[in-house]
Amino acid sequence: MMALFRSTFFIFGCLVLFGAAARMTAAPEKISFNRDIRPIMSDTCFHCHGFDAKTREAGMRLDLRAEALKLTKTEALPIVPGKPDDSEIISRIFDDSDPMPPIDAHKPLTAEQKELFRRWVAEGAVYEPHWAYAPLLQPSVPMQKRGDVNPIDAFVRARLAEKKIKPSPEAEKFRLFRRAALDLTGLPPTPEEMAMFLYDHSPDAYEKQVERLLASPRHGERMAVWWLDIARFTDTVGFHGDQNQRIFPYRDYVIRAFNTNKRFDQFTIEQLAGDLLPNPTIEQRVATGYNRLNMMTREGGAQPKEYLAKYGAERVRSVAAAWFGSTFGCAECHDHKFDPIKTRDFYELQSFFADVKQYGVYGDYDYSRNPDLKGFNNDFPFPPEIEVESPYLVARHARAQDEITAHVNAMRQHAQTPAAAARMATWLDDMRSYLGRVPSGWEPLRANKAELRKGDKVITERPVTVETDGTVCGGQPLANREFYRITFQPDGGRITALRLDVMLEPPADPMEWKWPPSNVMLIPSVQCAEGEVRKLDVVYADATVKAPRFVNGAELHGVTAGWRLPEPTKRDTITGVWLLSKPVTLAAGESLVVIISGETLPKFRMSTSRLGARDPLDVASAATLAALTAPQRSPSQQALLADTWLMSTADDTAAFARYHKLVAKLNDTCRGKAWSMITEAMEPIAVRVLPRGNWQDESGPVVLPATPSFLPSRQESTPEKRLTRLDLARWIVSPENPITARAVTNRLWALYFGTALSAAVDDLGSQGELPSHPELLDWLASEFRRSGWDMRHLIRLIVTSATYRQSSSLRPELRDIDPSNRLLASQNPRRLEAEFVRDNALSISGLLDLRDIGGPSAKPYQPSDYYVALQFPERDYLASDADAQWRRGVYSHWQRAFLHPMLANFDAPSRDECAAARNVSNTPQQALTLLNDPSFVEAARAFAGRILAADAHDDTARLDLAFHLALSRPPQRTERESLTKFLVAQREIYRADYPSAEKLLRIGLAPVVGGDLVEAAAWTQLARVLLNTQEVITRY
Amino acid sequence: MSPFDPTAHALSVNRRTFLTQSAYGLGGIAYALLRSKLSAASAASATPPAGWNGALREAHLPVRAKRIIFLCMAGGPSQLETFDWKPKLKALDGQPFPASFTAGQQLAQLQNMVLKARGPIASFSKRGQAGIEVSDLFPHIGSVADNLCVVRSMQTEQINHDTAHAFMNTGSIIKGRPSIGSWLLYGLGAETQDLPGFIVLTSQGKTGQQPISARQWSSGVLPSRFQGIQFQARGDAVHYVGNPEGVCQSTQRQVIDEVRRMNGLLAAGTHDPEIATRIAQYELAFKMQTSVPDLTDFKNEPQSMLDLYGVKEPGDGSYASNCLLARRLAERGVRMIQLYHRAWDHHDNLEGGMKSGAQDVDQATAALITDLKQRGMLDDTLILWGGEFGRTPMGQGTGRDHHILGFSVFMAGGGVKAGTVYGATDELGYRAVENPVNVHDLHATMLALMGVDHRRLSTKFQGLDVRLTGIAGEVVKGLMA
Repeated sequence: MMALFRSTFFIFGCLVLFGAAARMTAAPEKISFNRDIRPIMSDTCFHCHGFDAKTREAGMRLDLRAEALKLTKTEALPIVPGKPDDSEIISRIFDDSDPMPPIDAHKPLTAEQKELFRRWVAEGAVYEPHWAYAPLLQPSVPMQKRGDVNPIDAFVRARLAEKKIKPSPEAEKFRLFRRAALDLTGLPPTPEEMAMFLYDHSPDAYEKQVERLLASPRHGERMAVWWLDIARFTDTVGFHGDQNQRIFPYRDYVIRAFNTNKRFDQFTIEQLAGDLLPNPTIEQRVATGYNRLNMMTREGGAQPKEYLAKYGAERVRSVAAAWFGSTFGCAECHDHKFDPIKTRDFYELQSFFADVKQYGVYGDYDYSRNPDLKGFNNDFPFPPEIEVESPYLVARHARAQDEITAHVNAMRQHAQTPAAAARMATWLDDMRSYLGRVPSGWEPLRANKAELRKGDKVITERPVTVETDGTVCGGQPLANREFYRITFQPDGGRITALRLDVMLEPPADPMEWKWPPSNVMLIPSVQCAEGEVRKLDVVYADATVKAPRFVNGAELHGVTAGWRLPEPTKRDTITGVWLLSKPVTLAAGESLVVIISGETLPKFRMSTSRLGARDPLDVASAATLAALTAPQRSPSQQALLADTWLMSTADDTAAFARYHKLVAKLNDTCRGKAWSMITEAMEPIAVRVLPRGNWQDESGPVVLPATPSFLPSRQESTPEKRLTRLDLARWIVSPENPITARAVTNRLWALYFGTALSAAVDDLGSQGELPSHPELLDWLASEFRRSGWDMRHLIRLIVTSATYRQSSSLRPELRDIDPSNRLLASQNPRRLEAEFVRDNALSISGLLDLRDIGGPSAKPYQPSDYYVALQFPERDYLASDADAQWRRGVYSHWQRAFLHPMLANFDAPSRDECAAARNVSNTPQQALTLLNDPSFVEAARAFAGRILAADAHDDTARLDLAFHLALSRPPQRTERESLTKFLVAQREIYRADYPSAEKLLRIGLAPVVGGDLVEAAAWTQLARVLLNTQEVITRY
Repeated sequence: MSPFDPTAHALSVNRRTFLTQSAYGLGGIAYALLRSKLSAASAASATPPAGWNGALREAHLPVRAKRIIFLCMAGGPSQLETFDWKPKLKALDGQPFPASFTAGQQLAQLQNMVLKARGPIASFSKRGQAGIEVSDLFPHIGSVADNLCVVRSMQTEQINHDTAHAFMNTGSIIKGRPSIGSWLLYGLGAETQDLPGFIVLTSQGKTGQQPISARQWSSGVLPSRFQGIQFQARGDAVHYVGNPEGVCQSTQRQVIDEVRRMNGLLAAGTHDPEIATRIAQYELAFKMQTSVPDLTDFKNEPQSMLDLYGVKEPGDGSYASNCLLARRLAERGVRMIQLYHRAWDHHDNLEGGMKSGAQDVDQATAALITDLKQRGMLDDTLILWGGEFGRTPMGQGTGRDHHILGFSVFMAGGGVKAGTVYGATDELGYRAVENPVNVHDLHATMLALMGVDHRRLSTKFQGLDVRLTGIAGEVVKGLMA
């Protein structure tokens, strides 16, 4: 059964694919080398009779006409123009006993293909240069009957007219507008925008909307998704531990570039070589993050040289794919079989990037020391980086700052109420007498017991001494899991803050200093007379001097979770201050017990204070002491006094806690700054041709930068002048280079039609595809260049063309003539890309957060334990809170080793390398995602909430609204009937099962909607149906 | 030999041609599939098939195995404590390692270090009628020795975990190369449509863990439908396979039915074949929602079965539990099942690490072989046990470093020569000297056992025929029965 079924299926397959091809070539057109012959030759001949001299057989070379007309070693004439019967290749392809290609190549020619060869030779065996490498000249636009038309339409219609096919009518207005909005911004139109368009009857109504959409900041976000695939932008390094890297400002750069319509030549130059421009701006340096987006490793045991070779090779593949649409990959090991790309080209291109400062292995391991990365562990970032201002963080910083100011003002106001003022006055008297006794505000502590311990065991062999001033002398460094346990009996009992002074002593031999030092951890507790111990919580701690600490690339604030001491270069005392979450008063007989760990703490001293402060390092500051003791206080001193009172006493516990929560939020905005990996130029490393790509084989010649030999106007280094990345970038966007404009234009086209003009966007070489409309591609490519690389000009041309505006309903009558709709007799339906599938749902539901452009990556909900197989460091995925949960997909955290399942299920690439095109699959995993991923369930319940909260009071009106939000159209009668029935059924189910309704409505972080839960649950189910429909996730 | 095969040609055309270039469906192929099924059913309302039956119309070679279970010992277990007994190395323990062996070779963490021989920490015994020497750390595996085909002469090209896994799975370290399971699924399809055809399970030991990336089961340049689906140890076994809270199976069914109605209405007014495919995918999704919980529910496994595998808590994510699950997946027609046990990177504490790792995997591995055998499934199930590389005969502190010039794996079942040892390393276990088998050869052989000529399973990408074995690989006849 299966066998029968399958053979039927395959016969159908051939009919469909080849029936059309046969029909098209049966026309009595002259054979075109590029269209008809080169693809076959490339697939079946060039492997043994092409560019690569090493694999050439029988001395026969067919890729060059002059060579193919020469007598071979075996005295055969491969091609005799006009005389197929005298041509060796023709007799061999028709020779069934000893055919070409040979049987074991498994690439037999069809009878049609053989006939094509014969006719081509008969017609004179005319060769044409490969279309993509040929000089780029703007072809003239075909004449059209009706005057002024978009040149795109002129080319497309000319082709259709040849086939006697009429174009499709323009799409319905609502559909066209939804299409343009989704294509240009990745978001659906709002019902208001749609209404505005539908009621605008001016002739340029559509063009006006296109301008509006292009000017929207959402346009840059949409385009960034496209470019970030090409730039292989991710948040993690990819290899082995797949640690986080710091690079989001580069994404901001890309979004801004599209939003400001940065010219593509400038865009290219800045990314490849922004750092080499005269006086580069911060933005131009951030752009060079492009060169750093290759995968990196920190794996112990990896050899730096081997990985530098891997990075170098990847860079060639990615640059060639991005700017040439070419496949350089195979040339790493051997000359390309099908294209004139030589191994030397590969390494010469790589050599341009030999100055990019980068480390093969981002660690300092015993087997390969790296002084630049001394002290690096798995949590460290991946330099070189620069710290730059992030508009997103600046805005959040200001917002957090404002919140704190408002909160502090409220606290100060509160301090002026009579009851509070009275309490504060009592406290002030207290403090004044305290300061009389302890003028500095810090009471030095003298331990009455100091032990070195490991767990419960006291290590008596290494006694800890305490000097008269309270200094604790531990002597030798601590071993693993050892710590000091020190007991104090502070005078008077009240403690708000603890202070640790560490005496740094440079080691006699600086080489002895071991990095990384362990973190100094301080754990305070109170022990009562009976011996019971209760821990004291610390709300925040900071130190005067500290070495940075990271958790998976993110720098930690303060020293609450550990104080990493700096390298002791001179004799010095440094200070850390710990603020308690709640001031504590020791009762009689109670003592303060402090546990201190950290291997490099030979000498330290502790003190406590009854004073608190907003910032740990301001405890008992000079200003505070002055405010406390001044007989007359200025308004600012009065304010400081009120602050100090609250911070010292936590008089208002809630206000105190909130203050620190706001501070934590403020700290997370990093003063509005963020780090970003960049390119830093260094002395170029030697790049050799690696025989068979083997990094350990140093027998190959060292090569200098040069542009690809098979492209026009080759630039080569000389021993005196080495070409730079800037030279490469400028050559790429020079008028002499024909391939970049073609590659970019071709790829761009796919955004608006689903398929590019040459469908294999990642291979414009001879194994790729001749464009469906070669003249159109050349016209657009040269128009792109002529306009000064104006991307928006191209996009505008495309989306305002009648070709683009056609209906996307496919035409069954053309199925056999043009099975792939390459002639564009209609638009193509296009499923949204992964990011926009989610953006669209969030937008429909009203959850989408469009407050900011740019910023750090956000983390949508993700199944737990998805990163369980990741280590170095081990990590948890913490979904973003409400402040960043509903940001657009372009901002989603991109984990190379484990891409978010929703993104992966909808064909987003892991971006390990340049991804020029995405697959478009249609799988059960996609259905499961839309049905059950909490992001989509939450969107459905928010969507339901939105419908129920709107000014629509019956099912009919609500269903109308739901359709307008989700699909930009009213429901049809059949849809309305079916959904109404469904709604009624769901109401019954949830009325009978109230707890289930409650559960469903709690999914996600979005606020739970009040009101009738049964109604909300029923509408949530209806919203789920709509969000799962093909029409919602497709742009028609 | 074979005349021009338009089908094979159609399938080897550019993947984008095949996938997206035909506007009238998932490529002409899917369209044809749809048409043939429709005409067979001769009912316009028939649900179009969404399943995949494989790109190869027929086997190139006799089919010896229908499925593969790859027990990947991630981290790289030592051959010297598993299957490659080296008494001479034992004798040399602690002595300088002869430089004649190591000069000019790439090492990992031992690079630039003084090299000393480290004798095996385990004793070995001859097991089974075949008398295969197996480490005494693995008594259970030893007890099924007559089923094993041990390869002692494996070699690989990559010496670091990440890239070595990539090489072992895809035959290349270039990103975007499909994993072996994806190749099988693409070439042969699966015998089930209710479950993914390529499933990955992971577990971890107490020491010697190394990270593993989802890249290892990626379909690369093949369509994403062929990627491996990782079963999660906690939560839903397959992402999003569980209904949302507050939605029971029957309400979920109603939602799916309503989605189908909406999509059906859309299809009536719009010519877009993706709609029909989408409808079918929702049906498959719903089936998966039912079959996955059924699959992972071990209720009907008797206690004796749990004991055979050494499963303490069914579904606890342990290697033992995963082995039992692997058998259940094999029974249900999954094409490729890959277990990763992350426990074998013993740069230090080799002795403790090997004992603990052996404890994790020994019993369950043997149980899987025994169980499949008693069900008559071992004959057409190919089992591969092994790491991404081996370990140095030189010591590294209390452990061993990564090693690529000679290491051991074993195969069992599906057409392999049972009760044999193939190949050998030199007297110190440093280099494969007799019948070396490289990774491409191993791949070619595995495909051959599955009835596939590795040179004829390819896809076009960037103008090239991409294959699992690249341009290399020889079928190792000596491994085949």
